[in-house]
Amino acid sequence: MSEARIEISDLVVRYGDVPAVNGVSFTVAQGEHVTLLGPSGCGKTTTLRAIAGLEEPSGGSIRIDGTTVYSLAERRNVPAEKRGVSMVFQSYAVWPHMSVANNVAYGLRVRKLPKDEIAANVDRALGLVQMRDFADRSAALLSGGQQQRVALARAIAFSPTVLLFDEPLSNLDAKLRVEMRVELRELQRRLGVTSLYVTHDQEEALAISDRVVVMNVGGIEQLGTPEDIYNRPKTRFVADFVGSANLITGSVRNGTASPGPVQFDAAGGLALKAWAAHAPHGGETCVAVRTAYIDLSAGAVKGAPNSITGTIRQRLFHGDFIQYIVDWPAGQLTVRRPPTELFEEGSAITLSFAPEHCVLLEG
Amino acid sequence: MVGGSARPIWRPSSQGIVTLAILVFCGGLVIYPLIYLVAESLNTGEPDVFPPTEYGTGNYVDLIDDWHVLANTGFVACLSTVMAVGIGFLAAWTLTRTKLPGRAWLERLMELPYYMTPLVGALAWSILAAPRTGFLNQLWHVAGGSGDLVNIYSPFGIAWVMALFEGTVAFVMISAAMKSMDPALEESARVLGAGKWRVMLTVTLPLVLPGVLGAAVFVFAEMLGSFAAAFVLGLPGRFVVITTAIWQAVQSYPPDYPRASALGISLFAVMLATLSLYRAMVRRGNFATITGKAFRPRTMAMGYMAWVLFAGCLAYVIVAVFLPLSALLLTSFQRFATVILSQSELTLANYETAFSFGAVRQALTNSLMLGVGVASVGVPIMVVLVWIIYRSKSPGHGLIEYVVMFPQAVPRMVFGLALMWAWLNIPIPIYGTLWLMALAYFTVLLPLGVRTLAGVVMQIDKSLEECARVCGASWGYQLRTVTIPLLRPGIVAAWLLVFIASVRELGVSIFLVGPNAKVIAPSIISSWLSSSSELSAALALIQTAAVFIALIVLFRATRRYSGEML
Repeated sequence: MSEARIEISDLVVRYGDVPAVNGVSFTVAQGEHVTLLGPSGCGKTTTLRAIAGLEEPSGGSIRIDGTTVYSLAERRNVPAEKRGVSMVFQSYAVWPHMSVANNVAYGLRVRKLPKDEIAANVDRALGLVQMRDFADRSAALLSGGQQQRVALARAIAFSPTVLLFDEPLSNLDAKLRVEMRVELRELQRRLGVTSLYVTHDQEEALAISDRVVVMNVGGIEQLGTPEDIYNRPKTRFVADFVGSANLITGSVRNGTASPGPVQFDAAGGLALKAWAAHAPHGGETCVAVRTAYIDLSAGAVKGAPNSITGTIRQRLFHGDFIQYIVDWPAGQLTVRRPPTELFEEGSAITLSFAPEHCVLLEG
Repeated sequence: MVGGSARPIWRPSSQGIVTLAILVFCGGLVIYPLIYLVAESLNTGEPDVFPPTEYGTGNYVDLIDDWHVLANTGFVACLSTVMAVGIGFLAAWTLTRTKLPGRAWLERLMELPYYMTPLVGALAWSILAAPRTGFLNQLWHVAGGSGDLVNIYSPFGIAWVMALFEGTVAFVMISAAMKSMDPALEESARVLGAGKWRVMLTVTLPLVLPGVLGAAVFVFAEMLGSFAAAFVLGLPGRFVVITTAIWQAVQSYPPDYPRASALGISLFAVMLATLSLYRAMVRRGNFATITGKAFRPRTMAMGYMAWVLFAGCLAYVIVAVFLPLSALLLTSFQRFATVILSQSELTLANYETAFSFGAVRQALTNSLMLGVGVASVGVPIMVVLVWIIYRSKSPGHGLIEYVVMFPQAVPRMVFGLALMWAWLNIPIPIYGTLWLMALAYFTVLLPLGVRTLAGVVMQIDKSLEECARVCGASWGYQLRTVTIPLLRPGIVAAWLLVFIASVRELGVSIFLVGPNAKVIAPSIISSWLSSSSELSAALALIQTAAVFIALIVLFRATRRYSGEML
């Protein structure tokens, strides 16, 4: 028995001739919360549905709890109902013709548990999502947030070892979404259940995951902890899709072949001190600097490594932050500063950022 | 939980097995009789011997001599299509785009003509407008007119009765096209400065036109295969169309099955071509207005014109439903049909005959039994069919849709003929029994039931079912606990519609009735043939009453579920 609860290797799912998922491999460890993040059409939901047994893959293998549930080589495909996983659907899929308690009891009844055990488990699950008072209510009369909770209770009621989430918060309004995010993380920690989560909301992914898998056009772009993904994006796509970043084009100066500090020559004769998380091959053309990691100051900054003068072109007040468009020798930079740091449009400033925040992209 | 019960990829699932079984069964029901009919149409040897001893295209070549029959069919179909689409378009525009008093009510009323069968309509109109004896002509004479005011025994009469019936079909189709048009398309033209009429001509009409053309083609195809009106109103004036020609060929002595088959296959080919044209029109992207999204159309205030349009819609319902029913009602209580009440002799004799005379009573009970039986046994099968067509991923599920919808493309008359010929020549003795009738009804009503249920299945969020599977439910358990309870309103609607359609079935029944298997619609025909319009009127009313009772139950049920079933 391996430590990993979910093991995906070289998964391929095709719709007709179009590959929706094209050779995806990753694992989810016991008790871990992993999120598949990507824009719509990137194959994240298809991957999740293939794990649940709702889509039939056309290649690769899926192992859950050490048992192969799909393998092209072994010609095995365990139907959804025999995989023992649980899933929360985007539309909640709360059955409107049943009461809340009957919804939650469904998975337990299917498993033919004794009556008192069913009742106890339903009560426990509804307690965990604070819906105990609604047990006898018809599910058709619930609000969106309440349906969400019932769907969650139903998914955890039969104590599955693996829990799948398909954009469970995307139909809630913004305020409730943030609240549920906190609750979900809390519940996941408390139950210690292995979970795989799908979302297109990068903020949500960073906030609640142990690890994030960033996907694009059917493949994996980067896999790592939320901090990893944010601070050390590997590709243009990740730098652009997760958070907001400036992409600066140029070339790597020869001489370095190991991970660590590198020199990067950008347009306008700029020599930037950058950071490579990989061994540079010399062909890189881009560095990424997060908009939040750039300091602005009115006077000169002494001793800072990447310290360049520029002019404020535009200021946009967003409330929680101010976004500046700054003209600098290599073109334009977007910078986000807290609303306490006010600069007038047209004023000359010095901008600076640490070398480890100027990340060399692999491709 | 993940155990040794995992199935290898290549072994068929329970869904796969059911899919295959359904394909074989339904395919057999639909295709098999038609193969017999094609074989018979190529029979140039002894007409009564099957399988034929000689094959040839002679029967088709002979159809050239029947050119006037083909011309008649085309003429009547065109004429009534134009009238039906005219009625449908005006009514649809009035009810979706203008501010009218009592719109919701009127919309419901507009559906009623569909539940009057062409047979009932034709009988009623022959009572109303037959030369000399028709009520309208009687009144004309009393008022001092000479000759006949109207003569329903004419091509125009047939087209008129069919148009009244099909007008509501055109109405439903065209108003669907109008309702699915985004009002923003018109509003943006208004904002850019175009006037009411300019918007109508440059935006509304081009957008709705494909919907209107689609309705016209669909109605035309239905007209080609219609039998009852041409039979009741055409034969007295020796005006023969294809369907009535088939009937005559079978009834002649000796029966000319090869000719009937060749006529039937030709009609089927034309209808198939027309319906393919319809499908192509619907499929092609030019249905820009049909987005599947329902909009609330913007309505226009029409001033006094509103009342004219309102009166027009009401007049249609009166002419198509209330006037014919009143004529039938009056006639059914008389010994001799007359509208001059001073001469009338009121009696209950016709109803007494209907309920006591063995053959007629038998036909009534048989029809009700068949209706209940076919609906109760057929609808559960249709549920499984619909689920496989729209939800299953097992191979062959797309093919099932074609097989199941196929009877729609076969004129009822032709299908009845094919069934008769097939089962006469198969050594399983169910021809002339209610069993064959039940099988036939199930087959021809498949498209109706499946379409009704499909509308509901497609409204059910797929993840409601997927969730059940992920929770550990098998396919059967999921169907039983989730799908069927959610489908209940659709199941009720499908049951009632199949019941209604069974009770009024004529085209197939007319070839399958036997001495021990009589049903009501053919009985009405034979009582009319024995020139008892009074008894026919009583029977037609009884049939209509059964249909309307089921209809009221249906309306109440659908209102309770508040879903839009129809």
